[in-house]
Amino acid sequence: MASPSVNFIVRRPWLRRWMTPLANWYTDAAGYRKLGLRADDLIPEESEAVQLALKRLPPKEAYDRVFRLRRAVQASLAHQLLPKDQQTKASEDTLYLTPIIREIEAQSKERNDLDSMVVRRKN
Amino acid sequence: MISRSSLGRNARFALRRQSAALPASRRGLAAAASTPFHYETGSAAGVKTAGRDLSGPTTSLAIVSKAGSRYQLLPGLAEGLEKFAFKNTEKRSSLRITREVELLGGELFAYHSRENLIIGAKFLRDDLPYFVELLGEVAGKTKFTTHEFNEEVAQSIRFAQKHTLGSASELAVNSAHGLAFHRGLGDPISPTSSTPLAKYLSEKTIAAYGQAAYAKPNIAVVANNASQADLSKWVGEFFTELPTAAPAKLPKLESAPTKYFGGEERISHPSGNAMVIAFPGSSSFGAKGSWQPEIAVLSALLGGQSGIKWSPGFSLVSKAVADIAGASAVTTNAQYSDAGLFYTTITGTAKGVRKAGEALSKTLKSVAAGEFSKEDVSKAVASAKFKALESGMGIQNGLEATGMALISGGKAVELSEVAQSIGNVTEEQLKKAAKTLIEGKASVASVGDLYVLPWAEEIGLNV
Repeated sequence: MASPSVNFIVRRPWLRRWMTPLANWYTDAAGYRKLGLRADDLIPEESEAVQLALKRLPPKEAYDRVFRLRRAVQASLAHQLLPKDQQTKASEDTLYLTPIIREIEAQSKERNDLDSMVVRRKN
Repeated sequence: MISRSSLGRNARFALRRQSAALPASRRGLAAAASTPFHYETGSAAGVKTAGRDLSGPTTSLAIVSKAGSRYQLLPGLAEGLEKFAFKNTEKRSSLRITREVELLGGELFAYHSRENLIIGAKFLRDDLPYFVELLGEVAGKTKFTTHEFNEEVAQSIRFAQKHTLGSASELAVNSAHGLAFHRGLGDPISPTSSTPLAKYLSEKTIAAYGQAAYAKPNIAVVANNASQADLSKWVGEFFTELPTAAPAKLPKLESAPTKYFGGEERISHPSGNAMVIAFPGSSSFGAKGSWQPEIAVLSALLGGQSGIKWSPGFSLVSKAVADIAGASAVTTNAQYSDAGLFYTTITGTAKGVRKAGEALSKTLKSVAAGEFSKEDVSKAVASAKFKALESGMGIQNGLEATGMALISGGKAVELSEVAQSIGNVTEEQLKKAAKTLIEGKASVASVGDLYVLPWAEEIGLNV
């Protein structure tokens, strides 16, 4: 999911030190944390990989995710932000779904690679 | 050319080896093998190994682990661990394992018996290093992921449960074992669908059981058609990372010495009728239990299934059952390390099973009274000897028996001694054995139409 420019920054510690506060400010300004969501709640669900990943979530995580989504929808309809103590803190905004999606994508890529493999003998 | 991304280093290596010229050391099939029955034993990296080189072109390799249903810590663990074989490991995915094995033309298998769990492979002789590495990886590095458990393993366990429930004879054999031995050997070989598995089985409990089951002292690596030197070399290389002892927090994989109990159980079943009439039998040869060659001969004498087509054969049970329409009977002597179960399984229509049960009990009593001819005995001795030797020659039985003997005693089975002791059985011994059986307590399991199937007491057996 990391785009090339992100890798470019991560590989250079001095640049990373500059960019991190900027990135934090930007993420906060995106506003989803004020509705109590996490970044992984925003991943579009309409793909097979994500659907499978959602099925593989541990029950507690899945429950919490639905709770956050419903609370956010409610807050959005009411045109209100959540009170400060219910908003997502930066430390809570963890990637809980992305690792599973990455694993599934790697698996399907491997399947594609293996299924379209051509074996030739070296004689 | 196979691209780097699509195939692991090992498979490429093995494929190249395969296409290279055959090694000079390979003997032709006709050349005499050095010691046909004897496995050469050794140990590498703390793992016991046994190899038998018959110079054939294909090899069977297996890890035998003392972790069958007898030793499982919770119900269904042996089944779960068996189903987790060849799933994702830390090094490669299960799909990659499948594809690589396909590419090498091999075959994988995993099953468990009451005492052992066996995972293994059959393949072309030259691919030994690849498959030793694969088995070492499966034993030591399987990931036991949650999603594989939920999506694949739990499903196939559920199918296995349904399979057991659907087969009347399997239910009856399991029930007879339960009656005879209660716990340990009496635990069902695979759980029935009424076992509350969800309470006991999860990827975590299976992983913990796997750590204990694949600890070095608990396994043996056995190969057929591979030289012991090669096997030891590769095992020494690829089995180094297995745990040297079971985790201390787990109870030891042991079961109390088996005791015979006996009794009767009746289970109604909508399809199929089966009746298992069991007696205490003989343990396997050379184990700490009691090896009784006369039981092996008695099982051949009673028999049930003919070795020849279109004839009931010489065995007493098959002669007795021949006239009963819709029933067949087989006598088996199931040998375990410290006990045995000598049982006859009767299957067929309810009425047929009832009549065959009566006939069987009558036959046993006549054997105890000495009503059999000398010729029958010599035929039975020959047949028992053949069966014992043939099961040692047969690859899969040989692998399991050798592995089991290695784990417990560090010595491979000497089949010639087994055959010799069977050959020495006399009529007197047979009569005495049959008498002890019929006077002792039987274990009788009836599954099917209970209105028709007889109680043990009705056919004259003590329970």
